[in-house]
Amino acid sequence: MQLLDIRNLTVEMQTPHGVVRVLDKVNLQLIEGEIHSIVGESGSGKSLLAKAIVGFINPNWQVTADRLWWNGQDLLAMSPRQRRQITGRDMAMIFQDPNAYLDPNSTVEQQIVEAIPQGDVRGTFMRRRVDRKTRVKRLLHRVGIRDHESIMDSYPFELSQGIAQKVSIAIAIAHRPKLLIADEPTTAMEPSTRLQIHRLLARLAVSQKMSVVLISQDVASILPETKRLTMLYCGQLMETGPAKDILSEPAHPYTDSMIRMSLQTQQQLPHKARLPTLPGAIPTLRHMPIGCRLGPRCPKAQKTCVKAPTATHERQRVFHCHFPLLDTTS
Amino acid sequence: MTRYLIGRLTVFIIAVFLLTVFSFSLNYFFPGDPITNMSGVRSFQSNYPLVMEMRAGNENIATQYLHYLRHLFAGNWGQSLSNGTPVFADGFQHFMASMELIILALLVAVTLGLPLGVFAASRFRQRSDKAVISLAMIGYSVPVFWLAQLMILLFAIKLGWFPITGQINPLYGVEPQTGSILVDVFLSNSEYKAAAFQDAINHIVLPVLILAIMPMMLLLRLMRNATQEMLQKPFVKAARARGLNEWRVLVKHAIPNALQSVLHQTTLLFSLMLTNSIVVESIFNWPGMGNWLIRSIFERDYPIIQSAVLMFAFVILFFNLLVELYHGWRFPIVRHEQYATR
Repeated sequence: MQLLDIRNLTVEMQTPHGVVRVLDKVNLQLIEGEIHSIVGESGSGKSLLAKAIVGFINPNWQVTADRLWWNGQDLLAMSPRQRRQITGRDMAMIFQDPNAYLDPNSTVEQQIVEAIPQGDVRGTFMRRRVDRKTRVKRLLHRVGIRDHESIMDSYPFELSQGIAQKVSIAIAIAHRPKLLIADEPTTAMEPSTRLQIHRLLARLAVSQKMSVVLISQDVASILPETKRLTMLYCGQLMETGPAKDILSEPAHPYTDSMIRMSLQTQQQLPHKARLPTLPGAIPTLRHMPIGCRLGPRCPKAQKTCVKAPTATHERQRVFHCHFPLLDTTS
Repeated sequence: MTRYLIGRLTVFIIAVFLLTVFSFSLNYFFPGDPITNMSGVRSFQSNYPLVMEMRAGNENIATQYLHYLRHLFAGNWGQSLSNGTPVFADGFQHFMASMELIILALLVAVTLGLPLGVFAASRFRQRSDKAVISLAMIGYSVPVFWLAQLMILLFAIKLGWFPITGQINPLYGVEPQTGSILVDVFLSNSEYKAAAFQDAINHIVLPVLILAIMPMMLLLRLMRNATQEMLQKPFVKAARARGLNEWRVLVKHAIPNALQSVLHQTTLLFSLMLTNSIVVESIFNWPGMGNWLIRSIFERDYPIIQSAVLMFAFVILFFNLLVELYHGWRFPIVRHEQYATR
């Protein structure tokens, strides 16, 4: 079943230099229990997309979409209050710097207890206390923390990054959300911790039947279990589709360069070889190119690229490019 | 916590030690005979040789200091030079009268200042926030002595709602026992207890309000800034993203963390209030420590000057200690930052 259906989501920002489109007609479809990765360099609007889903966007910004549906309900037609209720009930989010996203002056136990829905615990006052405690223990075990006694009494500043991220995952899954948005959860983490968090997310997606949207900066740090992949650049959708297909046979020049870059960093580059990066730099908000925003940096760009390309559908895949690397004539 | 406790207590004890050294040396800095300055007994009085011996006046200065400390902790603070009353008993009453005023004013300041600050922060840069904040700016800048006169003119003389000065109408015949007027009325066996209580409250309203205004406004501004800062923090964003409503975000996460920094500033607030209380007590003729100190300075009553200074400083140190201990107990991150222990 389709959990989330986003069609042509556009976010516009008023600046002193005119209106800037920070998200330009982005589409995203999410199926229950699926892991979906969103990859893009900084400034590509991937975090903004996540914020738009949880309804957590600066009220001065214009959010328009042909469709922003959650479970068949139109999110844009709702009042902020209803929106918050839906977010609080069905969605959860974890962030890049977990220690800063936990309240520094309450213990891990207090914070997890706060996230457990009121309706879950029943009985008399004492029973509820015991019940809450066992629930907290169970949640900590579920995210792979065995030493629950000492962790429960700890404060966030006493935890390592990995443990803190696990705790925030425990908080996030306390109300059994249908969707977990992980906004670069493992950036700046050690490889072993990163691996643990990744495996935990993949396991939870299966065991809890929870969809996971994983946002990451490069293709190398997405989950191996990723079903679908979306590439964003400067607020525009470049390519989306089954991860396996895209990674083995990219259609968009941008995807191609991202994949080659991550491969090259793993292999030894010959002495004084050029790095396989795209020329130029990510444009600033004030100087967004017209048409396809990759245009000035794209190796395959031609005159027609000043017009935004339309979507090409090709075996479950969608890409926006005038000159795709895939042979579409077949 | 133990380490934090020991650390704070050590600092407190060292400060008190330095304080007693200072107040002891005052006896030598004041003009005249140090033993007279200490005890309030003049050299021509018959018991002077006895006092001289008890305070080790002929020994070296270290022995004198030790004897001074012994007298200090025994509550033997000498007698007043002007009327011969014992300083300690007298001082205790004045101390209680002052504390009554200050604690009530602190309560008023906290109960009004903190919520207003949170309100302003939740409406940051909106019209109501600007109104509250400019009010606070005005309230903080108005000098206490001028405001007090103005309030007396308005509420006591023009409107006649409150009496002008004093603690209570002397006709009720309430004997001072503890010095705190509300407690005294409660302890007295007057027939008109309820009326006397009413009268005492009428007397206390104006000085408490005037004393409360400045710390209230300061607290309001501190609380607004701290809450506003906390509302920008990632953990508040995370709480919002969890779908908590704004009220719960404020009460559960923003306010407790804002209090962490505001609480530390209350020590500053307290010393500010003690300073202001001297002015307010003089204007309202309130028999508190400030009034006592000012009068003793006019009368060159050295034993009293010395004791009053000692008491003022000790109260501030003690309040600091209490706030810091509570701070460390309630907010573990403070202990962590200072000693890296639990």
